[in-house]
Parts: sequence; C-alpha cells; structure tokens
Amino acid sequence: MARARPLLLAFIALIVSAVPGLRGAEKVWSGLVIAENVSQPQPIPPELTRIERPLKQLFGYNQFQVIGQSQKTLQTGQEDWLATSKFFGLRVDARGESEAGYILNLKLYKEKELLLETDAKLSKRSPLIIKGPQVGGGQLLLVLVVQ
Amino acid sequence: MKTFEEKWTAWLDGHLTGRELAEFEASLPDKAAAETERADAKKLSTLLKRELAAHALTNEEFFSHQVRERIAREGVSPSRERNVAVPTWWTIRRLLWTGTASLAIFLILAIFVMRDKNPAEQSQYLTQILNARVDPVVSPNATVSMFEAKKDRVTVLWTEGLQSLPSDYAAR
Repeated sequence: MARARPLLLAFIALIVSAVPGLRGAEKVWSGLVIAENVSQPQPIPPELTRIERPLKQLFGYNQFQVIGQSQKTLQTGQEDWLATSKFFGLRVDARGESEAGYILNLKLYKEKELLLETDAKLSKRSPLIIKGPQVGGGQLLLVLVVQ
Repeated sequence: MKTFEEKWTAWLDGHLTGRELAEFEASLPDKAAAETERADAKKLSTLLKRELAAHALTNEEFFSHQVRERIAREGVSPSRERNVAVPTWWTIRRLLWTGTASLAIFLILAIFVMRDKNPAEQSQYLTQILNARVDPVVSPNATVSMFEAKKDRVTVLWTEGLQSLPSDYAAR
C-alpha cells in the first residue's frame, strides 16, 4: 500500500495536468512597443525575449522598447483592460475562452482617435503581433502574449 | 538305495549320521582329501550366502518390486513436476499492477492526443485573426493582411498605409 500511494498521486497529477479545464487562471501581457534601428540598441525587454527572433526577422529593427503595457490575469475570459502610453491606448476586451485560447477584441487608439480594430483568437501558445503606424524613424507594434 | 553322489552330497552337507556315516567314510579311498574337499565346500557355501544375500529376490518379489516402483514413479512424477515448476514473474499482483499501469498510460496518451489533435483548426496552437479594419477616414489608403510565422508560432497582423506620426508619439 505504501508503494501504491506515490504511483496513485503521480497518476492523478498527470491526469490533472492533462485536462485543460482544470488548469488555473492565465495572464495575458499586452504591450505597446516602439521598434527602432539605433547604433547602440538596448537589451530587449524580458516580456519580449520569447519573440525576439521573429520581431527582428519580420520587422528588421534592432531595438524594441516598451512604452506601455498591461498584465491581466484572466479568470472568466470576459475581462477587459487597457495598455496605454502617453499618446496611444490599446483596449482589450476578452469575449470568451475556448480550449485553444481567448477571443479578444482589440482597439488601438491614438489619443481618442480609433486607428485600428481587430478580433482575434489568441492562442495560449502563440503570441500576436500587430504592426501599427510609423512613429518617427520607428514603428509602433502591439504585442499580446499569454504567459 | 542312494548312489555314491547322493551320499557324497549328503556327507558334504553333514546330513549323514550313524551307521550310514561310518559306512560311507569307510568307503572313501582317501579320507583326508575328502575332508579337505568338504572344508572347501563349506567355505564356498558360506561365501556365497554372505555375498548373495542382499540380492536374494525371488522372481515374484522382483516383479512386484518393479511394478510398485513403476506405479510410484508414474504417480509421483506429475505432482513433483507441478511442485517444482519454474517460478514465473507474472504473479497475480503483478498482473493487476501491470494492467492498471497500462490502462493509466493509455488514458493519459488518449487525453493528450485528443487535446492536441484538431486537424481542422490550426488555432489549437496558433493565434487566429478573425477580422481587422482601419478607420477609412483617418487612414484612407491603409490595408491590412495577416500571416503566421509557424516556425516561431507567431501570428502577425500587418498594416500598411496607416497615418505616420512624429517621433514625439513614441513617448511613454
């Protein structure tokens, strides 16, 4: 019986980890990022480390700086939140959770002016990058990652 | 009327007595040689009795002994074989544990496979953009497109023609 207990616990742990519905709440990180080419690039922010390679390859910049961000823990999949910088605002409205991820409505504002709106199904394993407007010599990017 | 050979055999065995013994010993041509021969015969008899006593089985006894031995061999051998059967690793308890463990592994694999397998949708592991629009008044020439960098598991919404802004807008 003493030998059976660890085996039983391991089995339950595996089952629990395998069933998606039993997992805990997850955090979604949303960021407003300015991508630029500079002679002395700053290290990439830790929130973007996971997607450093595609960021550099796809957009061709060597520096990425977060100018606004928000981290939201999703409990019901119906939450909404705002990531802002001085001039931009990214409003995220979660509209439900599926097995694959979260259904989100995203709106990018420049001050009070709506620039872009999109609906996306954000996968828990796949970040979303949105190319925003040109800002000076750089580019505004919107990034959403399920952490 | 006994012959000489009969009397000789009886004399060797010590069975002659009285007048018959006296008459026979008187008829012997060399009594000393006869006594020597009788002593040798006794020695031989004693030796044979001693050496052959252990094997002295009659035919009946030998036959019944063989039969008993055969019955015992045929009756005992199977049970002995059963008793000394090669011990196996598959005890009942191990069989039960193995069955339970196999079932558990099957369930876990089934859950993982069912969770990950959805050939109709890539959204199981890649973010999907359902729709996108830009304000045609603010950015009349803007276009949007989307693609997936599957290698990095990244989905990109790519816009072109959005209104460019001065670098002041990069402020935090």
